[in-house]
Amino acid sequence: MSKPIVIGMDVGSTTVKACVVDPESKEILWHDYERHHTKQPEKVLEFLIRIGQAFPEVAREDVRLFITGSGGGPLATPTGAKFVQEVNAVTLAVETLHPDAGSVIELGGQDAKIIIFKEGENGDKTASCSMNDKCASGTGATIDKCMIKVGMPPAETVKLHFDDSKLHHVAAKCGVFAETDIVNLVKTGIPSTEILCSLADAIVMQNLSVLTRGNTLKPKVLLLGGPNTYLPFLQECWRKRIPEIWEERGFDYPKDVPLEELIPVPQNAELYAAYGAVMYGLHEPAEVGAYLGLRDLERYITEGRKERLGESAGPPLATDQSELSEFIEAYRIPKFEQAVFSPGQTVRAVIGLDGGSTSSKAVLLSEEGEVLRKAYTLSKGNPIQDTKDLLRELRDGVRADGAELEVLGFGATGYAADVLEETVMADVNIVETVAHMMSATHFFGDIDVICDIGGQDIKVLFMENGDIKSFKLSNQCSAGNGMLLQAMADQFGLPVTKYAETAFQAELAPKFSYGCAVFLDTDRVNFQKEGFSKEELLAGLAQVLPKNVWQYVVGVPRLAALGRKFVLQGGTQYNMAAVKAQVDYIKERVPGAEVYVHPHSGEAGAIGAAMETLRVVKRKGKSRFVGVDAAIDLEYTTKNDEETVCHFCPNECSRTFIDAFRPDGSTARYISGFSCEKGTVESKEAMIELVRERKAIMKEFPNLVHYEALKAFQKQKDLDAMPEAGAPTEDVEVKQTFWGQIKHEKIQRGFERAPSEIYEQRRRWRLGMPRVLNMYSTGPFWMAYFQSLGVDPRNIVWSDESGEEMFAEGGKYGSVDPCYPSKVAQAHFHNLFFKHHEEKPLDAIFFPILTHVPCFIEHAVDHTSCPIVAGTPDVMKAAFTKEQDFFATRGITYYDPSISFVEKVRMKRVLFETFQQALDLTEDESNFAVDQAFEALERYDQDVQAKGKAILEQVEYENRVAILMIGRPYHLDPGLHHGIPDEFQVLGYPILSIRSIPKDHDWLRRFFQKDLDEGVIQTPLDINDVWPENYSANSAMKVWATKFAARHPNVVLLDVSSFKCGHDAPTFGIIDRIVEKSAVPYSALHDLDANKPGGSIKIRVKTYAHSLKLHEERLEDIAKKKDELSRRIDEKRLELLRMKQEQLASLKRRDPALEQQIDEVTARLSAYVRDADPDKDAREKAQKGLIKLGKKTADGGLVRV
Amino acid sequence: MEELDIEKELAKFEAEQRAALGLGSEQKEHWTDEMVDPFFSAKQKAHTEILVGGLTMAHDYLVEGGLSGLGYTVRSLDCPDTKALRFGKEFGNRGQCNPTYFTVGNLVKELCRLRDEEGMTAEHIIEHYVFLTAGACGPCRFGMYVTEYRKALRDAGFDGFRVLLFQQTGGLKQASGEELGLKLDPTFFVTIGQCLFAGDILNLLSYRVRPYEVQEGATDRAFAAAKKEVYDALAKRGSILMALWRARKHFAGVEVDKLRAKPSVAVLGEFWAMTTEGDGNYHLQRFLEQEGAEVSIQVIANLLLYNLWEFRHDTKARMKLKGADGGNFGLKDSDVGLTLAGLYLGEMALRAWWQGWAHLTGLNAHHLPDMDLVAQAGHSFYNQELRGGEGHMEVAKLILNVVKNKAHMTLSVKPFGCMPSSGVSDGVQSVVTERYPDAIFCAVETSGDGAVNFYSRVQMFLFKARQRAQAEYEQALAEAGVTEDEIRAFVKGTRYASPFFKPPHHHAGTGADFVRHVGPLVKAGRLGRAKIHATRFAASVKNAVTKDLPASYGRLREVAPYLPALVRYVGVEARDYLPVIQEGLEKMVEGVIKPNDEEQQAIDRAEEATSMMPPQPVRAPAASLPVMA
Repeated sequence: MSKPIVIGMDVGSTTVKACVVDPESKEILWHDYERHHTKQPEKVLEFLIRIGQAFPEVAREDVRLFITGSGGGPLATPTGAKFVQEVNAVTLAVETLHPDAGSVIELGGQDAKIIIFKEGENGDKTASCSMNDKCASGTGATIDKCMIKVGMPPAETVKLHFDDSKLHHVAAKCGVFAETDIVNLVKTGIPSTEILCSLADAIVMQNLSVLTRGNTLKPKVLLLGGPNTYLPFLQECWRKRIPEIWEERGFDYPKDVPLEELIPVPQNAELYAAYGAVMYGLHEPAEVGAYLGLRDLERYITEGRKERLGESAGPPLATDQSELSEFIEAYRIPKFEQAVFSPGQTVRAVIGLDGGSTSSKAVLLSEEGEVLRKAYTLSKGNPIQDTKDLLRELRDGVRADGAELEVLGFGATGYAADVLEETVMADVNIVETVAHMMSATHFFGDIDVICDIGGQDIKVLFMENGDIKSFKLSNQCSAGNGMLLQAMADQFGLPVTKYAETAFQAELAPKFSYGCAVFLDTDRVNFQKEGFSKEELLAGLAQVLPKNVWQYVVGVPRLAALGRKFVLQGGTQYNMAAVKAQVDYIKERVPGAEVYVHPHSGEAGAIGAAMETLRVVKRKGKSRFVGVDAAIDLEYTTKNDEETVCHFCPNECSRTFIDAFRPDGSTARYISGFSCEKGTVESKEAMIELVRERKAIMKEFPNLVHYEALKAFQKQKDLDAMPEAGAPTEDVEVKQTFWGQIKHEKIQRGFERAPSEIYEQRRRWRLGMPRVLNMYSTGPFWMAYFQSLGVDPRNIVWSDESGEEMFAEGGKYGSVDPCYPSKVAQAHFHNLFFKHHEEKPLDAIFFPILTHVPCFIEHAVDHTSCPIVAGTPDVMKAAFTKEQDFFATRGITYYDPSISFVEKVRMKRVLFETFQQALDLTEDESNFAVDQAFEALERYDQDVQAKGKAILEQVEYENRVAILMIGRPYHLDPGLHHGIPDEFQVLGYPILSIRSIPKDHDWLRRFFQKDLDEGVIQTPLDINDVWPENYSANSAMKVWATKFAARHPNVVLLDVSSFKCGHDAPTFGIIDRIVEKSAVPYSALHDLDANKPGGSIKIRVKTYAHSLKLHEERLEDIAKKKDELSRRIDEKRLELLRMKQEQLASLKRRDPALEQQIDEVTARLSAYVRDADPDKDAREKAQKGLIKLGKKTADGGLVRV
Repeated sequence: MEELDIEKELAKFEAEQRAALGLGSEQKEHWTDEMVDPFFSAKQKAHTEILVGGLTMAHDYLVEGGLSGLGYTVRSLDCPDTKALRFGKEFGNRGQCNPTYFTVGNLVKELCRLRDEEGMTAEHIIEHYVFLTAGACGPCRFGMYVTEYRKALRDAGFDGFRVLLFQQTGGLKQASGEELGLKLDPTFFVTIGQCLFAGDILNLLSYRVRPYEVQEGATDRAFAAAKKEVYDALAKRGSILMALWRARKHFAGVEVDKLRAKPSVAVLGEFWAMTTEGDGNYHLQRFLEQEGAEVSIQVIANLLLYNLWEFRHDTKARMKLKGADGGNFGLKDSDVGLTLAGLYLGEMALRAWWQGWAHLTGLNAHHLPDMDLVAQAGHSFYNQELRGGEGHMEVAKLILNVVKNKAHMTLSVKPFGCMPSSGVSDGVQSVVTERYPDAIFCAVETSGDGAVNFYSRVQMFLFKARQRAQAEYEQALAEAGVTEDEIRAFVKGTRYASPFFKPPHHHAGTGADFVRHVGPLVKAGRLGRAKIHATRFAASVKNAVTKDLPASYGRLREVAPYLPALVRYVGVEARDYLPVIQEGLEKMVEGVIKPNDEEQQAIDRAEEATSMMPPQPVRAPAASLPVMA
């Protein structure tokens, strides 16, 4: 008998690690570590052969095999191995090798794990483990991808050291977001060392804030897994951030031990899982894990995998070759032939340029609208240089033919358009969506839907009468875009141009579920493990693309309702596999669908810009463009140094200033490399100027979202004084009868009031409240309650407004990952503890569980709050008392009673019981304060509504529009709405909030009269006609507001919703239906999260502004027509009245009333003539926007200045 | 001369001018949901099939039987699978939770199958089918499922399809007027109760027996036969008691070996995710059993008890207030005495009914939870007023599992993005596990795609649970001083070998409990065994006197003030149920004396045989005897 050996094999998502262990000494006899390039079984086979060669003397019967890792499962049966769960394996390895370890951080290819060892009551050590859910990045694969994007050779990365002096924003929450951020940093010229350090920091912070589930890592903290082992800068980052958390949480760690020992990277750290599998095996009976040899594994590789696939797979992209050839024949984009010019010819044309995020394109368009030439360049992060290169390519191309180029005009779209408008005096600067629309209508005329799939985003435009009726844009998520296909092709080492060719070879395709790119990648890994080939995977991914577009991004399953004529454009349409999937998907759902692929798919934006330029130049008769030569010679300077670093927040973005010289010699500055709008200004003075300008506009065009948020937390005025002791008051006695019934009897007695010294104590009592969630809709209530009880308003402290900085500082305590609005609550607690309490100690923190919230909807099933929002106070209690009691250690008492705004009597009892002891309250005092609080809430409502009413009447009078932001109460928080309403406000639109719409039945009846007459609703505030399951108060109010906007001619909608919002989701379909039927302009920004989606906001704001401009024009037209109609009716009336007068005269009769009417109508008609004077428009224009809050007529109506 | 009617002339003129100016009517059309008041009339009953689904496979199957017994044409849908999920995702709203996608998608999937595979038109389907499902009124999205059903059905081309909502509280929400197709009388509710309770009991029994079966598949065969017995009894309005008795016999035939150290895993979490038995939770229960665990499931009776408790708690918390509030929980216009009396009576009836059936079927020593104890355990961590999902039960049950050593591991399964469970309970559980460091607690999310990570997570915790179960089992053997083989030899042919034998609870694992109970008897000899039995009996008497009696007394004192109201309640409300009770009793008697199909055949054969024989003196027919056996 030979000496037995035990093999441990760790089959990860990117590598296979193996070790051979002597079961007696537990010593590693052999080990290796290699990438498997998605061929896991083959690599395992190779390793087993090599192990066989290394241990020729060991008989097969003496070999045991234990397999672990995400790809290990399917390989257990063919090899005879026992599968061991990975974390168990790592835990056992650590327990064997490092009995003193307190915690482990292992970063693998696809997953990250944290193990914390806890000591149980019996002294036994138990390991508590957490793994990342599918969303989280911070894993080896993300690091790998980002390193490729950064372009730093591996040999250099291992020499890099962590430096936190210049870190940039990288969203580590999601692998795709991280990659996008990295690409943007690379493009803006940030040094690769800074980028990698930023990435490391983001990953470390993400893992520390989410994966630890709010637990504190205990030393020693072992760093395991590939990235931790090989990247010193990552190790150093852990060693910097973990002790910071220890310090912050007051955790006592041995400060005399060097950090390298407290947070060590053990030798052969990559082998721990494999070694742990062996340790696990040694606990198992001897017959477990008996190695079967290579035969079954070889058979598995050749046949076994395929056998299992048939049933789970779907059909391929094309059933047979003839279908495929027919399709390609019909849909292939014809190869573009650049126009040929004859020597001496003068080419008269316009140029359109699309400065996209990943590439820039330009086209030369003839006066007749024919595309003559195209130019393309990958974006280098400097739009001016990109433009110069493209213009040079076009000009030199024409010159090469011996012809001369005469540029009639120049138009731009995309992110470069603003700077080009200023520097080269572009004739046109239009938003991408409008450019795409113009291009598509140019080629296909009257179409219904344009679907543009670019590298990073998806734009779907719904058309009506040749213009954009509404649109949907992808959020930050890259599901379904070109980058996804590119990334997938990359995974298989294929150029994206070979994608279609490869995918069409598949005979079946795995069925992917639609959704986020990270989820798809996880699925891809799983399918690959199941044995699908790359051809099949690529086909499956192409098939999921339309689902991602129509179901995930657009969210419209009834494609047929959108129309029949679809145009597909954007660079992705060059991939025929994607086009085939799209065409099949659309045709299956839309009977008689016509699907066209734009002949210049990639340049649709540039063509649109050129078309618009042609129109503008023709109309004006001249161009303002500096000329192609001048543009090519445009001088600019770039600067990227200490001076250009943005200091407006701790992100310290390293920016690049590109100064280009305008024709008049002045300079136009383009700033790149910032992550928020603060970076758009270059100095503090400029910042002040920007803020001043914005404030001026804001004053002119009121923003009630801003106003409401401000008012919610202010000191309450107009409160009644607490009655004196003994003042007559009414009370109720409760009795129960023999039969169990409850009787209430009213009695009169004197008011019970605490003595004055208690009031002195109350005045000094200091209370903190988090400015979050439904505190936004109840803030005035709490202010009034505590003020009425005698608490000094200065001692009622609200945490600061939410913001990225606040979340970065205080977002590390949560053990769950719900929506951002509730997740941010922990940062507010942190803010109260570490800022406000430190400034002046707090006695208490109050954060009620609001099960039912104030709600104006009538005949509703209930007025409940969202369960996550209601439960957050308990989650906060758990988070801040788990390891150490943050309240007790600071002498703060935490109050989180459950309160219902539907039950006032019960609320009085609960509040009295809650604060009775702390404030030495009498029940009468507390009840009085509750009554005051309700009145304060009512005053707050009335105040906001009066302002809303003024705006509504003003815009209606002026035929303008006001934007109604529909969201949940906490979307008033600038940290949650990310300044989106302000973006619209500076364009000159007044912003309304849901609260600001008057709720007065009489005032509203005008809009709901038809519904009331038909009996579908009982009152104007009833939504049972559209949604009877209306128990969620904030959702119901949102739906009502949508109904209101649908009925008010001058109100348009801006819908904001947070990522993972469970109570918004059921309303999406309802809101869509209401909006669709009434055709009220609507724009939505869904899936808002912690980080501000700057680019996404910008394009939406611009596109929506375009639609709103058209809408306002329509309103003006209608108003003019209505004026005309009343004039004609009055003329007719006068004519008829006169006829009647003649009739009477012929009968020798007179009617004084009739004569009076004739006088009145005549007077009205002469007024029409006066109104038609030429200066009227100018005068009205001057009045526009002059809405001032606080000034209103006696009846509370129209505000005129 | 006709007098000029100016207003009439002007109206005509205005219409002309409006058209000329392109102004049209100023009244915009607005969307209203036409599907909100589905109507199913008695006249349509004959040609309408009611589709049901959404619970465990056993429950759905039995509800089908129960309703068909009431004269409806009913069909339960298949367990939702990933295909249903895809339908749900295509036609549902974005950002919904998985149970919504699975359940809504399952209905759409079935309707599409009827249309595409069976060639029915959408109009025919809308006319001939209705769907019956449970509803609620918040606070999580469960109550909004019906919104989602309407949206998905409309978008999938079944605009107008009727979804009838059988609400958890408050009966069936339906338009009134014409006679209703679905009669919601006491018979209906009692029948539904029968289906749910029988489903609970058979499910529990199968999960209890399967891990210890000696012959693989024996339990599943017994389970299927048992379900069929109850289904037939429900469908033919026969005696359920007899059906359960026959079901017991099927299970009695399963040979078991309890000498296995199996980790006991209590499955908690979001209601649907922990209840479904298909792709919706990656066949979690089966997976756990394959991994060697004994699964402890939650039953629907627990949820009903929770609802009753909630109602009682809400009433008691408000009855002493200085006024009555409105809203769904306020006591405005409520007769507190009658409500509480009804609730006490309801709970007693539910417990007696359920436990009685359980005992009859062989599900011994399974106790429905004491809801006050559950509430007390969880309240300091999770406020009872937060009603989402499982309410405080998810947190409380974890605590009780640890404190009362009820399971080695607690697995909380929830769909990705479940509001109360992922968003709140999990956050709270983090402090619970900190306070109870011995808890093996695994919270897993199902996302509907990719089972690998899900299984991997479960296995991670199951490993620890298995180790703990093994240690506990070995310790029990050591303490008893016997070997497995000795016990096995001892129990052969005794009542301990019965699949229904449940050793008293002490350890978390069944195997260890079995060893602890039976082990000491093995070598004790006849006298020694008698002594052990006597000691155990004395201990149980002591327990009854010191614990059960005071508890019952306490409960009596709590209920006593409502006894007059109870009398009133019986007089006022329960009269409606008398015919049902009477019918039930008649059925019971009939079931005892009436032979089943097999027996009837035996009787027929016997009668046939006797008819051939010459006339005999009259005496009781021998063939009727098996009925009593």
